[in-house]
Amino acid sequence: MDVSDPPSGPAMARDGADSAWRERCKALWRAIVPYIFVAPALLFVGVFLYLPIAFSAGLSFSDWNFVRPEAHWVGLENYRIVLSDPSFHAAALNTLVYTLILAPLQIVVPLLLARLLAGLGRSRMGDFYKSALFLPTIVSFSIAGASWLWIFNSINGFLNAVLRLVGMDGLRWLESPDLAIWSVSTVVFWKASGLNMILYLAALTAIPRELIEASRLDAAGPWRRLWQIEVPLISPTIFFVMITTVMSVMDDIVGVVGVMTDGGPVDATTNLLYYLYQKGMQFFQFGHASAVAIIIAAIVGLITWLQFRFMERQVHYE
Amino acid sequence: MTRSAHSPNRRQVLAGGLAAASMLSLAAVRPSHAAADIELVISSVWGPDKPFQKVVDAFNAKGLGVTVVNRFDGDYQEAATKALASIAAGRAPDMMITGWKFGYFARRTLGARDFLEIDAPRAEAILANFVPSVRPLVTIDGALIGLPWAMSTPVTWINMALWEAAGLDTDIPMDVTHEWLLEQATVLDKALKAKNHPTYRTALDLSNNEWTSQAYIQNAGGHIIDPEGKLAVDSAEAALGMSKFAEPVKAGLWQPVDAATQRTAFSSGALAISATSSASASGFNALPFPVVARKFPRLGATRSMNSGGNFLAVYTRDDERAKAAFTFLEFAASAEGQEIWSEVGYLNTSVHTVPQMANQEAAAAQLVDGLTAETIWPGDRGLEAQNAWRKSVARILEGQDVAEALAGARSDIAQLIS
Repeated sequence: MDVSDPPSGPAMARDGADSAWRERCKALWRAIVPYIFVAPALLFVGVFLYLPIAFSAGLSFSDWNFVRPEAHWVGLENYRIVLSDPSFHAAALNTLVYTLILAPLQIVVPLLLARLLAGLGRSRMGDFYKSALFLPTIVSFSIAGASWLWIFNSINGFLNAVLRLVGMDGLRWLESPDLAIWSVSTVVFWKASGLNMILYLAALTAIPRELIEASRLDAAGPWRRLWQIEVPLISPTIFFVMITTVMSVMDDIVGVVGVMTDGGPVDATTNLLYYLYQKGMQFFQFGHASAVAIIIAAIVGLITWLQFRFMERQVHYE
Repeated sequence: MTRSAHSPNRRQVLAGGLAAASMLSLAAVRPSHAAADIELVISSVWGPDKPFQKVVDAFNAKGLGVTVVNRFDGDYQEAATKALASIAAGRAPDMMITGWKFGYFARRTLGARDFLEIDAPRAEAILANFVPSVRPLVTIDGALIGLPWAMSTPVTWINMALWEAAGLDTDIPMDVTHEWLLEQATVLDKALKAKNHPTYRTALDLSNNEWTSQAYIQNAGGHIIDPEGKLAVDSAEAALGMSKFAEPVKAGLWQPVDAATQRTAFSSGALAISATSSASASGFNALPFPVVARKFPRLGATRSMNSGGNFLAVYTRDDERAKAAFTFLEFAASAEGQEIWSEVGYLNTSVHTVPQMANQEAAAAQLVDGLTAETIWPGDRGLEAQNAWRKSVARILEGQDVAEALAGARSDIAQLIS
């Protein structure tokens, strides 16, 4: 048979079937390749994020202590105990106070600082301020807490030494129930604001120059330019900062609380996450701790949903 | 190709091979020897720079077939947390330094082994090295769970440089009362503030914790938990004790701070009088100014002091390892072990005569007078009960009415230890 001869009927059918099979294999491969690529990430998230959440949710309905072989179903008892605990009430109230103090400060003050720094441009002074203000961010919460312990030490501390030098009495910065939460908030603000400032600064410097120049030509002053030109243009960054800051204020400050006050004096500086830590790691009540974890997750989830629901409409993505 | 003068011939290669094979055989034999040594891990609250390491090193040097590794796991709380995680993972520490106050937790949750179940005759022989009065401290739920080797009691530490600078009589009686101490503190505070002393900041600190507050309640004739196991924090005696405890705060002589700040303040010469553990002797004796220790301030005619400290418990589930742990406990309890151990600064609870560290006289006298246990909070939520009591103490020191605070303490604690 000449090679140029067309294939006979059965051969054509066989070739056609092979070709269709190959196409189906290719299509199947194309369909599953993305899943193969994301599988490690999905597996990681599943094993290290969702599985522990599910485990914690299960644990919150049991009295298991990790060591005893048997676990008993206790229903909502752990939630009842936690929700009726005065220390939980104090922790919840303090979490609200921390959020009301720190969230606005950590969202607004870094924006103002970033605006001032953007005005300095790439000058040596600008670089110095950027570094100085960002530096606390890279210090761990525990190191920051330990350093501030010396500053706030009510007997031998730096702040009280300064107060005594000017003839004033020293204060019990971390021991007074009225003052301690403000001292902890100061450290958290000092530690956490730098990151937000850098995020704002990056967003501000990305605003097209011609828009700023146009506003100048229209005689817009610095405040008007900030609120009516720059803030709307960086609203996606502001929204991101708002979401992450509220989460951080509710959760991350536990390191400072642990190092500086252990939640005291008399629960004056504790928060929900520190209460969880105490329940789990100091009192070994893992069922209670898991119940608190679920409550915290629900609160953070609700607040984040509310932020998306009511604030995202103010964001200009284009 | 010609062979180099230094190239080995076949015989040399064979000889070398045999030598190497012999070495390998020896090396193979050696590990089986070493494997006979059981290596035990002690989860401890002391790092390698502390005298406990000397006890471990001295034991290991004896080559008794058991090697002990001292693993520093933080304070009592941290060590207990790590032990719980290890036990949950099936890798319990063989032994652990466990605080008295964790007695119930150690037995009921962590499963500290009953010495009598491991090897009763050896356990009795080990305990025979200690005075009988300390045995109840390590007997939980009828089980003997620890070596009662670390006992301390709160005493009164005085910075003599500040005392002298204030013009006070340096001939201080061993048996001091609360009222006398307050008088001295008042004089000292006025004098040193007037002189604008360079290091002095505050006169007195009785320790803002559950331990010294318990001492005040007992010295007033009360209890936190009475000998029948009933909660007694709101008795008239307890109220009297706590009122006295808070007096120096009201007088402006005591600025309540946490334990670390208190220790730093005393060590830096900022605090003149510090009522704290007798075990501080090892550190305070090395301060650059003279210090003396006197008995804890008593109320009225009598004193009923409590003790604190830790015991060495066995946690391994493996009987062979538990018996190997006894080899270490036998050494630790011996006269030789106790002499090395005494450098830590604890009271000598053994029957052996060991040198007494300077400034241990007050604690030793209190031991002779008789010491009760520190409160071992019962129940699954005992550690929360302890925390609730600490908060009540802090509230009283912050000025809350004593009766109200103690009623609140009773209400909070009763739910936790019922």
